Amino acid sequence: MGGYGDVQLLNDDGSRLDGRKVDEMRPVSIEAGVLPAADGSAMVTHGLNVAVAAVYGPMEAHPRKIQRQDRAVIDVRYNMAPFSTSDRIRPGFNRRSREISKVTAEALESVVLVERYPRSKIRVEIEILAAEAGTRCAGITAAAVALADAGIPMRDMIVGVASGKIEDTVVLDLDKAEDNYGQADLPVGILPNTGEIAFLQMDGDLSPAEYELAMEYNFKAAREIHDIMVDALQRRYEGGEA
Amino acid sequence: MVELVPSLLRQELARLAEENQRIDGRGRWDSRDVSLETDCLYNAEGSAKVVIGGTVVYAGVKFELRTPWPDRPTQGSLMCGAELRPVAGRKYEPGPPSPESIELSRVVDRGIRESGCIDMESLCIVPGEKVWGVMIDIHVLSDQGNIFDACGLAAIAALRTAVVPAERFDVGEDHTLQVNGTPIMASFTRVGGRFVLDANEQEELGGDERIHITLGDEGHLHSLQKGLKGVFTPAEFAEIFDVAQKRCVELRELVAEKEGN
Repeated sequence: MGGYGDVQLLNDDGSRLDGRKVDEMRPVSIEAGVLPAADGSAMVTHGLNVAVAAVYGPMEAHPRKIQRQDRAVIDVRYNMAPFSTSDRIRPGFNRRSREISKVTAEALESVVLVERYPRSKIRVEIEILAAEAGTRCAGITAAAVALADAGIPMRDMIVGVASGKIEDTVVLDLDKAEDNYGQADLPVGILPNTGEIAFLQMDGDLSPAEYELAMEYNFKAAREIHDIMVDALQRRYEGGEA
Repeated sequence: MVELVPSLLRQELARLAEENQRIDGRGRWDSRDVSLETDCLYNAEGSAKVVIGGTVVYAGVKFELRTPWPDRPTQGSLMCGAELRPVAGRKYEPGPPSPESIELSRVVDRGIRESGCIDMESLCIVPGEKVWGVMIDIHVLSDQGNIFDACGLAAIAALRTAVVPAERFDVGEDHTLQVNGTPIMASFTRVGGRFVLDANEQEELGGDERIHITLGDEGHLHSLQKGLKGVFTPAEFAEIFDVAQKRCVELRELVAEKEGN
């Protein structure tokens, strides 16, 4: 996390700088089937973040050494477009995007019924077109909708959400300023129906009680986003454009 | 190894060409629907989304302050790059930029640069010390044919709607980037033995060489490129050049609409 307490992030009435309540998330909209070349795709707009996910496969896994005899492997690439941030990002791999790709792949492997597709590979491409804090979560949500759009069976959906702490107050869904100057960030991937957690990261400083509250906010937000995900898929397959 | 699907596809495309038809029912010089959206990405200083059929491309413009080249102390710089990332299609793989993506970047870059639509002198802030570097990054998200035209259109539309973020860099007030002209690319692919406009994915898979023509506002040529194996005659070029003139006028009007001119 950035600094501590030197920037005011809460108004005098306890609301946040953008007017949200502490347990209020930024507006989320989702569209499924946005990329015709992909087997499944989705675009998630979460506040000012824009994440697009494409799914290809299941397909033959090559080189053969990556094959697993009893299940499919999920190959995730999380990538930020050069124009997605305030300062341009040089294209190509970096350590941050590699780590996010790895833990996202492991989270998705926990929900996709990978044992249905032995020796195959499912490619998940997450492209961040606009980044204003919370892109890994928007990416996970987009990937889940894209996987469903591709018709790949899953135990549950997975929803990316985050809570954090600013000015010693636990808040849901940090925006850019809150992320830069806040005290903690707790991004998670929640399975809304089973209530399980498949993705977990955290940095900063949280007391056990603050963790409990942050997680409570995350579960509440996950249920809200899940409704939006389901709605996006229903719009895609109920009479809308195919 | 004979690639089975392309060879069957080639036969079918050749048969259709004899009947003067295309695989998706279009006429030879018909384009798929083109849609253009600008100002669609929050952090880009200029942005555009182009959809041509099933091809989806985004372009974003960023600025940076840099010191000018010693031999050109009063000139800024322009860079245009296209990334063909694995998101764009089943055939794309991760790794360093492929020859295809380098060709794409350079052809789009030349069309814009050589049209002179960006006056490099206008990017100078303090001669010899501080100039703007303008970077256009193009992101291909879905390739279903003719990404060249989509990238060219997205790049110029993003550029023409870009705002120079001078306040953020503490060098004056934000202002719209001065762009003098709208260079537009038109691409043709040989399919079933004859050239067609705006080839789709199947036509590219079962087709031959492609020709990219970038024209400025006055109809002057600013960039030409022939890609892939094959030859063409001057008469064939004359034919597609006429079509390119009309195509570029149409797409230029589409860009002007988005600027509210």
